[in-house]
Amino acid sequence: MKSKRILLYRLAMILVLVVVAAVMLVIGRGHTVYFDNVSLEYEGTTYETPYKVVVYTGGEEVAKLYDGERGMATCIGQNLDLTLEITQEKGGEEELVSVSVPLPYNMDGIIINLSAYLEGLPEEAYLTEFVPAVVPSTEEDEEVVTGDDMMMGDF
Amino acid sequence: MKTKHSFQSKVGQLVRDNSVPIMFILICAVCIPLSGFSPSYLLNEIVTRMGRNTFLILCLIIPIIAGLGLNFAMTLGAMAGEIALILVSDWQIWGIPGVVLAMIISIPISILLGLLCGKILNRAKGREMITSYFISFFMNGVYQLVVLYMMGPIIPIVHDSIKLPRGYGIRNTVSLLNMRQAVDNLLAINIGGVKIPVLTFLFIAALCLFLIWFRRTKLGQDMRAVGQNMDVARDAGINVDRTRIVSVLISTVVAGFGMILYLQNMGNISTYSSHSQIGMFSIAALLVGGASVEKASIGNAFLGVTLFHLMFIVAPSAGAQVTGDSMTGEYFRVFVSYGVIAIALVMYEAKKRRAKSNASRLLAEAQKQGKEERA
Repeated sequence: MKSKRILLYRLAMILVLVVVAAVMLVIGRGHTVYFDNVSLEYEGTTYETPYKVVVYTGGEEVAKLYDGERGMATCIGQNLDLTLEITQEKGGEEELVSVSVPLPYNMDGIIINLSAYLEGLPEEAYLTEFVPAVVPSTEEDEEVVTGDDMMMGDF
Repeated sequence: MKTKHSFQSKVGQLVRDNSVPIMFILICAVCIPLSGFSPSYLLNEIVTRMGRNTFLILCLIIPIIAGLGLNFAMTLGAMAGEIALILVSDWQIWGIPGVVLAMIISIPISILLGLLCGKILNRAKGREMITSYFISFFMNGVYQLVVLYMMGPIIPIVHDSIKLPRGYGIRNTVSLLNMRQAVDNLLAINIGGVKIPVLTFLFIAALCLFLIWFRRTKLGQDMRAVGQNMDVARDAGINVDRTRIVSVLISTVVAGFGMILYLQNMGNISTYSSHSQIGMFSIAALLVGGASVEKASIGNAFLGVTLFHLMFIVAPSAGAQVTGDSMTGEYFRVFVSYGVIAIALVMYEAKKRRAKSNASRLLAEAQKQGKEERA
């Protein structure tokens, strides 16, 4: 009876750890998000950019974007909460818009076209994966140092 | 006269018992003024380093209670922590969730390695320290096999920033920039320019409370009994082998957690050297705090980490001031680190031999007395 109870406790403990790990996998997924303030043509319509967009995340300014510019922020989780300060024309009034952009789990780098997003276009239009340009590798293979350094260095 | 004599003998005993910490206090007292560092700088460094290392040093206490001596195989836990961090880093889990996930992943690996180590140590009773030292070398080879050849082709690693340019194996250094000091910075407070990583200290406090509580449990008492005398403990109905395995297991799991806390503070992993260094440093720090092969307390860990790091910080500058070469200080601290471990082992062996010869002498005297009485 006692051993059965111990087994149950152990199984419950393992289950709790697995659940916590699964939660951490979801809430801790990091993304690098790039904001594009560039005009976009989608299904025959051209969506123009505002004059200036200032992007805030967590109350901090992360990018100030004029036409054709790109900004960047890092984000942990599956949603990116943004506050956008939009100026449609030079010298015009600033408009504050708060948005929450869902981020796909499988993408490390994500490009969001702000004008497309603000126009309410579907995800395929405003969101693309950022793929770093493949540069032919000139890097030589790294020499792996596995030897003992006799405790030199910091602790 | 008698009071004066007994006071002197008490002081003498105190100095003998705490010769290593006293020696370190003297070294630091000489080196601090020579180094030219301000007290606030030193305090800041000590607090940061205390948060970074104390968890790792505390993991050594339980095997000492159980009579296994200094657990050189704590590096096995450190390896588990490193493997977990490499995986989490490749999965792009950042911040506190990354640290928590790495801890969870390290648990089964640590348990497996701890179990293996405990079983081997049970077959090498009386030679635990040298055995654990060589287990750590052996497992380092297995770790290198896993990290250098299996990560990539067998264990999927996606990111090129982690993989070696040849396409498999892990680079010499893995960046943990996205979880750097995540635990330290959460709830951190600043007092007079000194940053106190409150959450890290809460983790350490929780481990200290666990150790205090654990000593009072049935298992903790069993470990003490096993540590004092295995034969007596066995006669008292304690499952000696199991108790010893559990002590190694707890130490390995805690070492894994400690390594993760240490590396999140550093912000990068030296894939092939972090774990081997950490074992030696942690053991040296505990011994500097006045612990011995047979006896260690939480206080020893805190005093040790403070004195050891104080020497670590001031020695290169003091060496540069005296000899004009900062490497002198580096060599000095390496020499002291190894030296203190060697002294502790020699003292332990000498004490053991003295106790054995005393016991033999007493037995011989008792036999002689018995013969005389019979005659």
